[in-house]
Amino acid sequence: MFKNEEMEINLGPQHPSTHGVLRVKLHLDGETVTKCTPIIGYLHRGVEKICENQTYFQGQVWTDRMDYVASISNNLGWAEGVEKLFGIEVPRRAKYIRTMLTEQNRLASHLLWLATHALDIGAMTVFLYAFREREYLLDLFEAFCGARLTTTAFRIGGLREDLPPGFIKSAQAFQDRFLPCIDEYEELLTENRIWKKRTVGVAKLNAEDCIALGVTGPVLRAAGVPYDIRKAFPNAAYAEMDFEIPTRPEADTYARYLVRLAEMRQSHRIIQQCIEGLPEGPVMAKIPKILRSEVNEVYHPIEAPKGELGYYFVGEKGGTMPYRMHVRAPSFVNLQALSKMTEGRLLADVIAAIGTLDVVLGEIDR
Amino acid sequence: MTEPIDPQAPAMPEAPTGPYVYDYMAAPNRQVVLPKTVPLPSLRTYQAEVVTAAAADEAKWQKQLADFEVAKAKAEVEGKDAPKPPVRAVPRKDDNDLKTPWPTEAKDADLLKLQELLGDKVEEIFEQAGERVCQVKKEAVLEALKVCRDAASLKYEMLADQSATHYPAAKDFAFSIVYHLTSVSRCQRLRLRILVPEGFIPESACSLYPSANWMEREIYDMLGIRFANHPDMTRILCPEDWEGFPLRKEYPTVGLGQRDIDFRDDRGGVLNRLAMEKAGQMGINLKQPKAD
Repeated sequence: MFKNEEMEINLGPQHPSTHGVLRVKLHLDGETVTKCTPIIGYLHRGVEKICENQTYFQGQVWTDRMDYVASISNNLGWAEGVEKLFGIEVPRRAKYIRTMLTEQNRLASHLLWLATHALDIGAMTVFLYAFREREYLLDLFEAFCGARLTTTAFRIGGLREDLPPGFIKSAQAFQDRFLPCIDEYEELLTENRIWKKRTVGVAKLNAEDCIALGVTGPVLRAAGVPYDIRKAFPNAAYAEMDFEIPTRPEADTYARYLVRLAEMRQSHRIIQQCIEGLPEGPVMAKIPKILRSEVNEVYHPIEAPKGELGYYFVGEKGGTMPYRMHVRAPSFVNLQALSKMTEGRLLADVIAAIGTLDVVLGEIDR
Repeated sequence: MTEPIDPQAPAMPEAPTGPYVYDYMAAPNRQVVLPKTVPLPSLRTYQAEVVTAAAADEAKWQKQLADFEVAKAKAEVEGKDAPKPPVRAVPRKDDNDLKTPWPTEAKDADLLKLQELLGDKVEEIFEQAGERVCQVKKEAVLEALKVCRDAASLKYEMLADQSATHYPAAKDFAFSIVYHLTSVSRCQRLRLRILVPEGFIPESACSLYPSANWMEREIYDMLGIRFANHPDMTRILCPEDWEGFPLRKEYPTVGLGQRDIDFRDDRGGVLNRLAMEKAGQMGINLKQPKAD
């Protein structure tokens, strides 16, 4: 006789498809998930507490170590948040370079997502293709700031130095070869029958649930809501850029895949505009060596590859260190939706759901 | 017959005292310097500060003038040259690109609408650095959130972020809790703020905004503020048996035992020996095992 009882299993924290140290407690009825509880905190380092005890300049290096896949976006959020706190206006050239690097980082992040997500679901080839282009982007970051992942690319008030010689040429070379690469990924996946079977209609999350759960980024846009912070609250040089917000109405894993690929094309467009319209001028604003804040609190959101990344600062009068720093990590908030997406579905769809949310544990646990 | 109750209470095992327990709370570099000011941005405080600073400046100038008159009279009596008249100090102008964003009067339609809808439940509204701030009474936070979400002209559908700050130097409150609301349809943002004293249990926002679930758990984990009617008020980032609340200002930033010692400065090996002793008292074996 078959036993008719619920089974409780742990997915992770050491599981290759949980993208880090995520642990998901699952209650299974056969192969159907009846209850799904994500358990986090295995990578908690207390970044917020550390940043309270370091100056605004020192704290910036911690932002690389939160979302280590998209560290330039994190650098941008920190730098712009602090600039908002102090009221610093950044030179236009610095804004353009920031925008360009952030978009290149978005490409790198989406490529890593595509590679690992496809690998989780079973498409091995895309992994190698996507990493080929990502490598080129990481070489560009290395040329700019000397690091591939932990970049600390920006400084408060602008950039540490201008673009290195030959950077624009290499960036343009990447631009010229990248669009056919996206077509290659699409050829491998978009009409692939196995891929569609694993993604169409899987891990649905409609627009109302997305907004109620605070889910942002490609997941929200794949539910048909054209909400992008680059358009809604333009930062850096996004107000001067011409680009579209790709959306899909289906709200499933396949729609999110299409939205992210369309976003990569838009990022490509933005980088091209940055290269062509790069203004001349200084890259650093005039700021004192020691920044002393006034009593102020700011919340600065930017559009990271995974969603809304917000930095909340409280400044003390005469303080060189933030009185309080809080990070609104997109993965942290998005991961709350995992239970809603997977309950009542099959166990194999949990892997697809974790992949499609595109979570990074360094950012969730901070 | 019942036996007479033994009047003597059972002897409790005495808490170990003396040199066996290393009192890590008393270690010198665990002593935390608590902040002395309350950096809570507020238009009212700012205006009061401006008035006080102007009055102090004026008083200083009047004193300079009076001193000058006295010195002049003295010089006349003594037959010396008259001293130079004082020059009023002009605020120093720095040559940099900093434009400090001061709080300003609320002129924004959303804030005025919110004040109209909530009436005397609003404690303060102002704008700073291009952001709207509305501080409401701590008991009325759920009502304020409901108005923000449901009023047709506000429609803040998403709770983007919720966090709290510890203010140990404040008198009538200990924490500020901020709610960062986003209107996805109107592309607007608003910060709702409440001030709560130690031990106060504010209402959870989970019934209105399900995204508050993990954010409130994080606030509880990091600062120890509990929320009423929360579905699962447990720790989220720290282990469930963690002691203390790390983001409180009195929480130390250095570790226990041997970590208190900076071995780089330890030239004579004295600190190392002390650390070994302390570790031994704590039952930690730091010595390398000897090869047989």
